[in-house]
Amino acid sequence: MVMHPNDATLNDYADGTLDAAGRATVEPHLATCAGCRQTVGDLREIMRATGELGLREPPVRAWSRLERAIKMEQEHAPVARSLQASASGPAKAGHSMRYVTGLAAAAALVLATAVGMRYVPARQIDAPAASAGTGAAITADEAAQSIEAELRQAESHYENAIKGLEAIASGEQSELDPRTAATLQNNLAVIDQAISESRAAVRSQPGSEPAQQSLIDGFKTKIGLLQDTVALINEMRKGNESGAARIASGLKQKGH
Amino acid sequence: MDLVARCQAGDVDAFETVYREHSARLYTLACRMAGSTEDGEDLLQEIFLQVYRKLGSFKGESSLGTWLYRLALNHCLDFVRSRQARMNKLTETLDAEASFEPTARRDTPIARLDLERAIERLPEGCREAFVLHDVEGFDHKEVGDLLGIAEGTSKSQVFKARLKLRAMLKGK
Repeated sequence: MVMHPNDATLNDYADGTLDAAGRATVEPHLATCAGCRQTVGDLREIMRATGELGLREPPVRAWSRLERAIKMEQEHAPVARSLQASASGPAKAGHSMRYVTGLAAAAALVLATAVGMRYVPARQIDAPAASAGTGAAITADEAAQSIEAELRQAESHYENAIKGLEAIASGEQSELDPRTAATLQNNLAVIDQAISESRAAVRSQPGSEPAQQSLIDGFKTKIGLLQDTVALINEMRKGNESGAARIASGLKQKGH
Repeated sequence: MDLVARCQAGDVDAFETVYREHSARLYTLACRMAGSTEDGEDLLQEIFLQVYRKLGSFKGESSLGTWLYRLALNHCLDFVRSRQARMNKLTETLDAEASFEPTARRDTPIARLDLERAIERLPEGCREAFVLHDVEGFDHKEVGDLLGIAEGTSKSQVFKARLKLRAMLKGK
């Protein structure tokens, strides 16, 4: 019976970290075993391809978002800090918006609130694993309640961010050409429908990770679309036709 | 006045120049560490907001690129740790999933996009170790220090990641 080197040994051989004694054992085997040769070849191909991975360009809107946030910091830092603090309480967030005027500052405020808020859906609840190593005895029920509370909080934050962005976008939509505005409305309708269905799924199955993820994805997609809309309006105001065209092209992809 | 000094003086145009020069590298790191372009974009935003706030403390002891990379890496690691703590999910299931047929063949080079997608799909834990070691070039001791794991664990996670990638790419 042929004894194959184990995967770890083949991995070490493939990346050149196997010692001389190990190589002396593996190399004669590779000369006669096509399967192990294939494994080594595949691992080396993965390492080669990984070494050739290039850089990824961030989307155009990323700088627009950042620029707005920076300008807001420069111009409205005291107000923004106050508003961000109040935005943590759902009842005050909408009320606070009226203190900030100007598209850039308002958009940046909403983004600053949304950017810091990320919901990570819970995986399958495993009570023993959840308490392992922490010294805390967390029951499955408590974990489930905690997850639901976090989901509600995340939902509230996303909804606040969306409301703010919707207010900005709807107030400025006269800047958009009718076709772009129609595309935007269509896409928003599709996303709203998806959010509505996901929300219903979460309500009927609060512990369902796919339902939670789907709802959060829906919120994030809608925020992304509204952010793009605000970025588009800003680029049009600046007279940056190429930047506006890139963003408008991206808008048409959203919601599908 | 040099670029950094202009940034420190609040010049947004100068900051945009810094962003244009370094954002692709930091965005790429963020996307791969987070395992998603959505989180990568959010991380990039947070990283550059931090850069904007902290540029005043940049003393020029290292290059700006090195300083930015370190700040971005720390931010990505914070994100990863926070997410791992919340998800309480490591890679125990990987051993079974990573088994493969040693006789399967791959005769064509791996497409970059396929590899990027496969890296995004790697399980938490081994993806970060793989990105730091095989993509970013840290050795296992450094990866261990960065992720708060033993050097041997880093090696094992990278190994698991490669096997997982092999299985995913072969399945195409």
